[in-house]
Amino acid sequence: MRFYINYDVNIACRVILQEQLELLNIKYKLLPLGGFEISSTVSKEKFNALKENLGRYAINIVDNQRKHLFQQIKETIVEIIFDKDKFPNTNISYYLSEKFNLSYGHLASVFSEYTYTTIENFIIIQKIEKVKKLIIEEKLNMTEISYELNYSSVAHLSSQFKKVTGLTPTVFKRIVEKRKQLID
Amino acid sequence: MKFFGLYKNTQVFKIALIVAIVVIGYIASVFYTQMQKLDTSVELIASSNKTQYELEKLLSIMGNYEMSLRNYIITQNEVYLEDRFLNRGEIEACIKNLKKIAGNDSAKIKDIDSLKKLIDYRFKLFRDLLLIQKSPRKNTSELYIKLLESSSCTESMHAFVYKRINAEISKIKRYNTNHQFELNDSIISAFLLVLLSLLILLLSFNKMNVDINELKKTNDELKFTNLSFKNAEQIAGFGHWKYNLVKNTYTFSDNFYRLMGVEPRAFEPSLENVGKFLHPDDYNSVMEVHKQSLIDHQPTSIMLRYLLQDGTVKYIMSVGSFTRNSNGDLVKIGVNYDITAQYKKTLEIEESNKQLKTINAELESFNNIVSHDLQEPLRKIQMFVSRLEEKEIDLLTPNGKEYFVKIRLAANKMQTLLIDLLNYSRVAKGDKIFVKLNLKDLVEQCIQDLSVDIEEKKAEIEVMDLPEINGIGFQMEQLFVNLISNSLKYSKENIPPKISIKSEKISGKEMYNSKIISNTDYHKIVVSDNGIGFKQEYADKVFQLFKRLETDSKYTGTGIGLAICKKIMENHNGFIKVKSRPSVGTKFSLFFPK
Amino acid sequence: MTNNLTPLQIFLADDDEDDRIFFSEAIEDIRMKNKLTLFNNGKDLMDYLLDSDASLPDILFLDLNMPYKNGLECLKEIRADNRFKDVSIAIYSTSSSEEDIENTFIEGANIYIKKPNDFSELKKVIKGVFQMNWQFHISGLNKETFFFSI
Repeated sequence: MRFYINYDVNIACRVILQEQLELLNIKYKLLPLGGFEISSTVSKEKFNALKENLGRYAINIVDNQRKHLFQQIKETIVEIIFDKDKFPNTNISYYLSEKFNLSYGHLASVFSEYTYTTIENFIIIQKIEKVKKLIIEEKLNMTEISYELNYSSVAHLSSQFKKVTGLTPTVFKRIVEKRKQLID
Repeated sequence: MKFFGLYKNTQVFKIALIVAIVVIGYIASVFYTQMQKLDTSVELIASSNKTQYELEKLLSIMGNYEMSLRNYIITQNEVYLEDRFLNRGEIEACIKNLKKIAGNDSAKIKDIDSLKKLIDYRFKLFRDLLLIQKSPRKNTSELYIKLLESSSCTESMHAFVYKRINAEISKIKRYNTNHQFELNDSIISAFLLVLLSLLILLLSFNKMNVDINELKKTNDELKFTNLSFKNAEQIAGFGHWKYNLVKNTYTFSDNFYRLMGVEPRAFEPSLENVGKFLHPDDYNSVMEVHKQSLIDHQPTSIMLRYLLQDGTVKYIMSVGSFTRNSNGDLVKIGVNYDITAQYKKTLEIEESNKQLKTINAELESFNNIVSHDLQEPLRKIQMFVSRLEEKEIDLLTPNGKEYFVKIRLAANKMQTLLIDLLNYSRVAKGDKIFVKLNLKDLVEQCIQDLSVDIEEKKAEIEVMDLPEINGIGFQMEQLFVNLISNSLKYSKENIPPKISIKSEKISGKEMYNSKIISNTDYHKIVVSDNGIGFKQEYADKVFQLFKRLETDSKYTGTGIGLAICKKIMENHNGFIKVKSRPSVGTKFSLFFPK
Repeated sequence: MTNNLTPLQIFLADDDEDDRIFFSEAIEDIRMKNKLTLFNNGKDLMDYLLDSDASLPDILFLDLNMPYKNGLECLKEIRADNRFKDVSIAIYSTSSSEEDIENTFIEGANIYIKKPNDFSELKKVIKGVFQMNWQFHISGLNKETFFFSI
């Protein structure tokens, strides 16, 4: 028998982080976007133990400031795309520079350093990723999906989908279905 | 009309005839009794007359006696007395006759008896008178008394006889009147009888005539039908046979024999004799099927072969089924027909189909060679060209650079040609999986795919409501991509192309393959542009493979695109038509079956 | 590009020597940190991969039409082995038939590249593939639905 699970990475990570911090008796305060603050001083040994324990879950403590900023930009984008309510009314570049209180140019250069791509491109890829998820779920039709993700039309959505994947949504869906059959 | 109808009905006629016969019988019996009655009345009259005659005879004899006696008394001459007893016998005979006539009638016999007493008494008076006359002492007064007595006796005898005669006369009169009436009745009865008989005779005759005519007509028709059937059998190459399961007899039609290559009735109709003509390989199976059917009475249908005496083989289809004939016997009736020609044609078609398949397979592998194996080295050429262009172009002389550009263009041209060819063969062969397609969505998708070209040409494309059709998805996409890019390609210089794609009502005049096309059977979709157009006389040419109208180098093309469109429409059981005018525009009409 | 990124491990299995040369020249030109290993056919590739000590590639480029063992066979074998689940497989073929594209995706390919006929185009394509693959790598996108046809 085959099962699939549905999970929220953010919550999972946060729970693991809390567990590990409590295990080592470290006093902490959780911050948004995967950040946390240690209130009292912690010995080097304890901090390394925490790093090691979290590493087993493939969770890494980022101590590099630029890398941390990149992570935050990335997570902000993922968040606003996957949660419709958080989607800004202004354009995203303005929203990001407001949020981090840094120039967009700086954000963009930090971002490209780690991704081989631009923020705009990353947004598109993330959106299409969400589209894929919705197509597979089959709860919404293409019109509803395009509305959900702020596309002006189904045609616009389809053409962006084609640009990113090289496939039409229909062919994509067909491939996923046939693949599932093959695996089963 | 109604009467005529009844007249034609044999049943009604039969009933009428029976009624008529009964009526005749009745009338005849009435007539018979009347004749009987007439006979008795004639007899009665005859006996009356006879009675009269005998009575008068008696009277005259008695008269003669009296006269002779008177003559003797007056003359005293014995001569008058000589034959006085002679007539006594005659009187006896008369009485006897009267009695005979009277028969059993007691009243009459009584009358005759009293008449006889009178006569006897009279004769006694004769004797007394004679004795007195002859006596020597003749007493004249006594004579006179006796004479007077004699006279009164004669008187009363006369009175008696005349009374009888009168009675007889009045009786005759009565009989006569009756007789007259009965005679009249009989005449009427007889007349009616004759009239009725005549009528029935006439009707019967007429009816018989009609029946015979009809029978003759039916007979002629039957003869004709038989003849045409025989002819038809011969022309159509079939023969029929019958087998009576009760009497165990076979019947074959003339052409049944001819099918076996022999003269009609060349042999006794029997299963055995037919078996001689069956192909040895088929003999057992055919016999088995036939015999099995005689058991279960199921219809049969088998293909068999005749091996004729001259060695030719005929393919025969034999079908049989069961029915009952007019006697109620179960009969198997069958038809054998010659399918040699059809069978051979089928074999030929199968053979040519096989050949076609081989040719198709060859063609397909040829297409694979063209599309893949030729593309491979071509791509290499293009790659090396692009490598050289990037790195080494500056080392060439201007002339060399020019040649180099030409090499690249030629290679690119060859590439598009190969891709188009591949597309054409794919359309021609491809899997034909039909699904419901929303044409409007599909066309929008095609426009998306062509967006680069559309923007470059600044084209305006208008898509109106389009119907849903059953189609092969990728072929439909290819169709509209080809048509739109065709319109983009053959647009006028410096004038942005305007392309419209819409559904149109079919007007009554639309024809295809001399068939009228109507809205009920077809969707019509029109793709029109404001491009350079062409002369209508080339309308058929544009759909031919490798046929290009524009040879101007600024219009690039392989001459395959519209041929693909035509092929796609054929795959969808539809068709494509084009109307064009030079420098006005072109209008392609697509017809899809509903 | 900076040096913050670990070099990409790239494998290419193609029986055509010219194509191998084009590919390695193109990959050199795009100046992404990478390590390219070439295989002359499918059999050599599989022999190498099935050796348990082998270091695994980030992206494997597979030609479809190869002697001994063609691309599709390799694809099926690799996808049947859980050890290679993180390897992105890019089909690198002359064929542009939709049937081939769909089939390879169904069999577990992530990327389908029709061999370009222009060198600069080839560079563009490879770059695009690297970027897309990197997105899936760093953003933890669903590899099950990673299809990219170019």
